[in-house]
Amino acid sequence: MKKLVLGGNDAVAYAVKQSKVDVVSAYPITPQTSIIEKVASFIASGEINTKFIRVESEHSAMAAAMGASASGSRVFTATSAQGLLLMHEVLHWAAGANLPIVMANANRAVAPPWSIWAEQTDSLSQRDTGWIQLYASNSQEVYDLVFIAFRLAESSLTPVMICMDGFLLTHTKEPVEVFDNEIDEFISYKPEREILDVDNPKAFGALAFPKDYMPIRLKQHERILGSIDKFKSIAEEFGSISNRYYKPVYQYGDENAKLAIVVSGSIAETAHLSVDALNKEGIPSKLVKMTMFRPFPKEDLKEAFEGVDKIVVFDRNISMGKGGIFKDEIVGALGLDNVIGVVCGLGGYDVNDVDIKEAAKAVFEGKIKQDTILWGER
Amino acid sequence: MIIPTEEIMQTNHLACPGCGAALAMRYALKALGRKTIVVIPACCWTVINGPWGKNYAGVPVFHTAFETTAAVAAGIRTSLAAQGKDDITVMGWAGDGGTFDIGLQALSGAAERNDDIIYVCYDNEAYMNTGIQRSSATPVGAETTTTPAPLLKDRPKKDLMEIVAAHSVPYIASATIAYPTDFIKKFEKAKSKRGFKLIHIFSPCPPGHKFAENKTIDVSKLAVETGIFPLYEIEDGIYKINKKPKFRPVEEYLSLQGRFKNMSKEQIRSIEEAIQIKWQRLNAKAEYLK
Ligand SMILES: Cc1ncc(C[n+]2csc(CCOP(=O)(O)OP(=O)(O)O)c2C)c(N)n1
Ligand code: SF4
Repeated sequence: MKKLVLGGNDAVAYAVKQSKVDVVSAYPITPQTSIIEKVASFIASGEINTKFIRVESEHSAMAAAMGASASGSRVFTATSAQGLLLMHEVLHWAAGANLPIVMANANRAVAPPWSIWAEQTDSLSQRDTGWIQLYASNSQEVYDLVFIAFRLAESSLTPVMICMDGFLLTHTKEPVEVFDNEIDEFISYKPEREILDVDNPKAFGALAFPKDYMPIRLKQHERILGSIDKFKSIAEEFGSISNRYYKPVYQYGDENAKLAIVVSGSIAETAHLSVDALNKEGIPSKLVKMTMFRPFPKEDLKEAFEGVDKIVVFDRNISMGKGGIFKDEIVGALGLDNVIGVVCGLGGYDVNDVDIKEAAKAVFEGKIKQDTILWGER
Repeated sequence: MIIPTEEIMQTNHLACPGCGAALAMRYALKALGRKTIVVIPACCWTVINGPWGKNYAGVPVFHTAFETTAAVAAGIRTSLAAQGKDDITVMGWAGDGGTFDIGLQALSGAAERNDDIIYVCYDNEAYMNTGIQRSSATPVGAETTTTPAPLLKDRPKKDLMEIVAAHSVPYIASATIAYPTDFIKKFEKAKSKRGFKLIHIFSPCPPGHKFAENKTIDVSKLAVETGIFPLYEIEDGIYKINKKPKFRPVEEYLSLQGRFKNMSKEQIRSIEEAIQIKWQRLNAKAEYLK
């Protein structure tokens, strides 16, 4: 193992290279582009012998990824915002066809107005497509989650999307511990699965009548739910190699906290500081970071909220006409009435530690009683 | 030429009686053999191939989204290449809607990259799966459920072969089931060539075109003999006409089909003119590009 200074995009490309991916199919979009450029450069220099399908759109990127995966290859793609939205129908197809594709999504706001900066509304609008969604909060996590994602996808026959905030994560360089070849055995494991095979000619995805459709869908649902435990055991195995341990829900701060600050993505890094400051001020606080959003880690969250009086969810995303999506999901899943949602940082708007701290404190002290918007300094 | 006797496609498929598209697949697979993987988007063939758990094609089939045929096929081809499996033919098999309209972008992408696939459009000149709506392959004068009389289709059919030819691909051919040896030869040729291949099949549809189910071959034949559907190939840019039509009166073709019953004399005349113009151009290309 060694340390390199990498942005999130470099980290993804590096992990893709070490994951022995057979096929990459992708279309450029800011801020994802440098991932696929880097992969292309690895191919050009002969460092990997991955095949790269230079498709004419994201729609075809996912379609080609689907064909490649259905015929037995390990497949990777990456996109962002408008590109992800263009893929929407095919995302359902890939998941419904049980294809273990891994995709990195650079979270970016959705136009109009045009914005190339961070926001999670793009990936969260894909939450019902049947993809596992993981949110990373620094380059190290991005790197590590790629390996875990391939193993998770292949063992649960479900595609996995790794989400990372555009620019904040994709382009900010930081030291990342990378493997030399310690990961080779972990990543070379591939379970058997049914693929297109001329010696066993089956049809995949044929028309299903209602009596067939319902059980097929329920099985898919159960498989995705079951991937929470799979994630835990794969992450454990990964930890034994890397000494970096991942959980669906990460906690930091006072174990006996009365205030929980819930975040996902890059805000988590900032919110560590806010939690430290709150604890210093005598408000027992903890950070609850959701790495996994689909399947929804309900039990892990329940555990994280034990003994907590107030929960504040910071959402860098918005469901128009409703509000922050993580907040809504948490309340819905756990039936809580002590949660306040704070929508913040849309379209890359800065979110700083002091503002998070002040907003959380105001909630804790009962000064903010309903969902709100965090503007910071205007 | 001997037509292979092996039947790969099964007989219990779900096509309507007299369906040209069912016969076309049967011939295509005879030519391509069992080492073939087929991609099928939303179209009549989604149904023809049988419901969940069935596969009447007899070779692996991947059902996919309406607009993705060429991209999925490209993905399969690339994946097989990555695994060193170079002896499997990958065939996209789509209707005219999935090809001329919604899937045209993916088709163009795969053609431009020269992906090593055979793309087949079985062209029944309308969206039949959703109940006979016009597509951009529907000919002038045809009645469909979205061009009900007197609002008959009034724009010419897109020229798919020429659109794909503009991508400089190795092989493009038209075919129809009325000429099985010509049909099978073209699939065999497509199989033998590397790169992007397009085969455009004229595919009569009894309920969609409104003719008796035992007239499929007659309709296919008349489409060629009236000059409406030229049988030709473009091989590495070289044009070759496979069958010189006798230019039988176009009414012989039109009057067999209920979809043309509301055409005016004027429209029929303009179709005759269009056929002549098309043939002049085709002959000129065959003359110059040989
Ligand atoms: C994105 C999308 N839009 C619309 C449809 C509905 N649809 C299914 S099949 C079809 C028509 C297919 O027509 P064509 O490609 O000509 O094949 P045919 O049915 O004639 O065999 C349509 C419109 C769909 N499945 N997906
Ligand atoms: S509607 Fe036409 S194309 Fe479709 S199955 Fe029936 S005959 Fe064949």
